[in-house]
Amino acid sequence: MNVTNSDVILLAHATFGALGALAALWVFVETLNAQERNAARTRKGALLVAACMVAAWILGGYWYVHFYPADKAIILKGPWPFAHELFMETKEHLFFLTLILSFYLTIASREKLYANSSARKMVLWVSMLVVLSGLAVEGFGAIVNHGAEVALKAAVKGGR
Amino acid sequence: MDAATPKLGRVNAAYALSAAIVILFNTLISCVKDAHVPLKAFMASLTGKDWTTQGLADVILFALLGAILSNTGLPEKIGPKRLICFLTAAVVIAGTGLFAWYALY
Repeated sequence: MNVTNSDVILLAHATFGALGALAALWVFVETLNAQERNAARTRKGALLVAACMVAAWILGGYWYVHFYPADKAIILKGPWPFAHELFMETKEHLFFLTLILSFYLTIASREKLYANSSARKMVLWVSMLVVLSGLAVEGFGAIVNHGAEVALKAAVKGGR
Repeated sequence: MDAATPKLGRVNAAYALSAAIVILFNTLISCVKDAHVPLKAFMASLTGKDWTTQGLADVILFALLGAILSNTGLPEKIGPKRLICFLTAAVVIAGTGLFAWYALY
């Protein structure tokens, strides 16, 4: 088995992103049932969302700067150059929306959601936006990964 | 605060507005730096990579703008419904804007 640092960092990045989106869904459900007794749990969920997104940012950023250039060169030579030109370019900038929303979620969830319908609606919207944008970023990542895969397959086929 | 006064708290409203503005700023700077190479080079010179600079700028701007707006009455005057609409619209416009930019540019 040959697991490189690049593999570990990339998979940890994707995992933290998925966990962040799942945690945001948890916050959404807690907020739907907002009561005094689950207020602390909702706030902890929001903190978990932000922590996961920060971890995904740092790990993804490190991988993007140190390891992605090699993958990018492979993708651009393959049959799916749009995997980088469209999906990676969009993903790397779209992620900042998710990150900012996750930071804001920690602030919005500090209100008494069980007593304030406006604050509750805000948390519901923001947590769902984190879920949707997070899933979009994950999906784009899968397309980038497949872009590298089809490029490598094409290279192997061409070499035969 | 109770159910009879469904307003967002001062800090909450301020950071909601800040988030919406930063989200739009992020898309704008993504497009402008691609179209204006000297800006991209300048951003890269600050941290070694324009993307890194952009992310840090977003986070710093979000924190600063939120803190500044917290000391004004502006976000509270906007009202929670409009803030939710503005933030949601900002995310939709910014997201589709980014996708459209990289699809067409």
